[in-house]
Amino acid sequence: MGKSKKRFSLAITALTALSVVLSGCGGGGGNAASGGEGTPEKPVELIWYTIGTPQKDVNTVMSEVSKYTTEKIGATVTMKMIDWGDYQQKMQVMVASGEPMDIMFTSSGGFDYVQNARKGAFLELDSLIDEYGKDLKNTIDPAFLEGSKVDGHNYAIPANKELPQQEVWRFNQNLIDEYKMDTSDVRTLDSLEPLLKTIKEKAPDITPFAMDKNYIPYVPYDYVIQNLPMAVKLDTTDYKIVNVLETPEMKEALTTMRKYYQAGYIAPEAATTGSTSDLGTSGKWLLDRAQTQPFADNVWSASSGYPITSTPASDPIITNNSVQGSMMAISANSEYPEKAMEFLNLLNTDPALRNMVDSGIEGTHYNKTADNRLENLPESKNYDMPSYSLGNNMLLYLNPNDPDNKWDEFKTFNESGVNSPILSFNFDPKSVSSELAAVQNVKEQFWSSLMTGTVDPETYLPQAIEKFNQAGLDKVMAEAQTQLDAWKAENGK
Amino acid sequence: MRNFFKNINRNKALLFMVLPGTIWFFFFSYLPLAGTVVAFKEYRFSRDGFWASIFRSEWVGWDNFKFLFSTDDAFTITRNTLLYNLAFIILGLVFSVLLAIILSELVNRRLSKLYQTGMFLPYFLSWVIVGYFVFSFLSMDRGLLNQILGWFGVNPIQWYSEAQYWPYILIIVNLWKTIGYSSVVYLAAILGIDKSLYEAAMIDGASKWQQIRRITIPMLAPIMTIMTLLAVGKIFYADFGLFYQVPRDSGTLYSVTNVIDTYVYRGLMTTGEIGMSAAAGLYQSIVGFVLVIISNYVVRRVDKDSALF
Repeated sequence: MGKSKKRFSLAITALTALSVVLSGCGGGGGNAASGGEGTPEKPVELIWYTIGTPQKDVNTVMSEVSKYTTEKIGATVTMKMIDWGDYQQKMQVMVASGEPMDIMFTSSGGFDYVQNARKGAFLELDSLIDEYGKDLKNTIDPAFLEGSKVDGHNYAIPANKELPQQEVWRFNQNLIDEYKMDTSDVRTLDSLEPLLKTIKEKAPDITPFAMDKNYIPYVPYDYVIQNLPMAVKLDTTDYKIVNVLETPEMKEALTTMRKYYQAGYIAPEAATTGSTSDLGTSGKWLLDRAQTQPFADNVWSASSGYPITSTPASDPIITNNSVQGSMMAISANSEYPEKAMEFLNLLNTDPALRNMVDSGIEGTHYNKTADNRLENLPESKNYDMPSYSLGNNMLLYLNPNDPDNKWDEFKTFNESGVNSPILSFNFDPKSVSSELAAVQNVKEQFWSSLMTGTVDPETYLPQAIEKFNQAGLDKVMAEAQTQLDAWKAENGK
Repeated sequence: MRNFFKNINRNKALLFMVLPGTIWFFFFSYLPLAGTVVAFKEYRFSRDGFWASIFRSEWVGWDNFKFLFSTDDAFTITRNTLLYNLAFIILGLVFSVLLAIILSELVNRRLSKLYQTGMFLPYFLSWVIVGYFVFSFLSMDRGLLNQILGWFGVNPIQWYSEAQYWPYILIIVNLWKTIGYSSVVYLAAILGIDKSLYEAAMIDGASKWQQIRRITIPMLAPIMTIMTLLAVGKIFYADFGLFYQVPRDSGTLYSVTNVIDTYVYRGLMTTGEIGMSAAAGLYQSIVGFVLVIISNYVVRRVDKDSALF
């Protein structure tokens, strides 16, 4: 008896000791740049976590970048890349365990921005932007900073890139030509029917309407939470949150989808299909829906190896989702938040730095062919970075096949965007999180099969609506409405 | 205390062998127990690291457990988890013992080894691969099963949206994947049975069937009990891969494929509340713990030697 008791207390002691050591590791931060640190003579080190497949030459390039930044702002940069699929989870663990870091990539998809801002992962940047980020503020489209506020504060610097989201119908142009089809009148879901019908009759081995399980028919609403049925109509005046499944637009779209599904225009297993990339490779599809940006047709055609064209399926809308597509936050435990902000300011305004981070070292990874043009060298395969995630896109040098007016077109596209009525309203689900978990399960159960037309909306739509309400969607919607009304009053909408 | 060290000294070889396992358990099972406290907290990051975050997060009592019981889904997922695991335990036991006996009775040793390896192989496949494997049978337009049905003039079946077939499909797939592994345990036990028992039985004129019934199965009983007790402890945990990957996450099948683990995953995927997932895990392990204690108690009443503790 006494023996086991002693052993137990030993274990407890060991455990306590260990926890002290562990918590000690995380501490010790907080001493901001002081005592002559952060100068070109005595630079501080910034640790930058970003998304993408780790590149072989990342350290080589960063030491070159560091030389530049040491001179400019007195800081060196260490970049740590985490692969696409791991980013969300690894960052979650590293932030939770207090791993030292200064700058990190965040977005609505990877390492969720709003959620982690609320959980305290990021430093609030309002005063830092005013003090150290003036140039940045003048350079990037103000809609980005405005739209990425969480509860009235900025927690990250958005990358300057395409601002609105616009849905388009994409066509496999070879088939369009072969069967002499006309896409000029296409806009709505219903207007696709003659094309789908023709291809189904003339080429039965082609999938007429390619889609995976994430497909949702376009309706003119902006969702409060992506992929949950709470939404606000784009031309709303009363800011009322509705269940999108109960709207006439969605009902009509789902009925059309069902008609298409039964006619065989949609693959029978669309509701469980994770990706349609096999169709893309084989070219055995007629049309699908995608999000566009200027010159997207060129990019699509180049990557698929056959011509792809597109026509609009919606207006360009600026939503939270489009604004929060790529951002960089400063970690709450950053030792040098001011330096980090200075660096972000430089990265988003200085073409030399921005292109070095993006394309590597001149002469090794790329050659400059003109003032704002470059050509990749074979070595660039060791430093192939995802441009969108590394700051202001509009500073990037152009590739040989890019048109001269590329960034002007982006600016025009951004100006054409219309703000969603709920742009920069971020729902805080804290008080309804258990309902939300139940609602999420109902969504998973009904969503894909309804949206792809796999099941009949006549019977399944009422069922889905009822189950959503049983799970507490009405309570979640009421809470969202309260928050939206408060937000509306606060922002004078 | 002297006794204790003496004991250690005497068993040092054995203790040395369990050392890696002990270390593993200490770090991955005992140490994280302290973190269970997040189940009762609303977890928020603190700049001073993980323990500081836990310490400074707000207490929320039982709030994190609510989502598990708030809808009628609570009944569905509990029923599915329990009944499937019950079926896996019972059928798994019957079939793996059966298989072990058949393998041990095979005269051709080499063939026996070949079959054993063949049945063992699926155990090493990931559920994702098994999921695609099953899909090649059940795909609506290109699946093998629908083609075969077509030869008999049966209309193709939309396997991934017809819930009534899935209890059978899931049980068959799970047995196919796990049985090879568990039968090896029984096979080893059978090979360890004293051969003289069978010789004596043969001299007495016992048939093969009588030998199996009177010698093999009673000799296997203790290990069958232990394996079952261990499985009962996990009865509230569903195999996530089986219930998520194999039915391809098809919504229309949820009434028969949604289990506690998939429910928790789908519910928390977007909000990422660590506290709520910790609560679900704690709930599962406490129910499993209670069930093990109860069933061990029952076993002790029947046969003291077969009990775990």
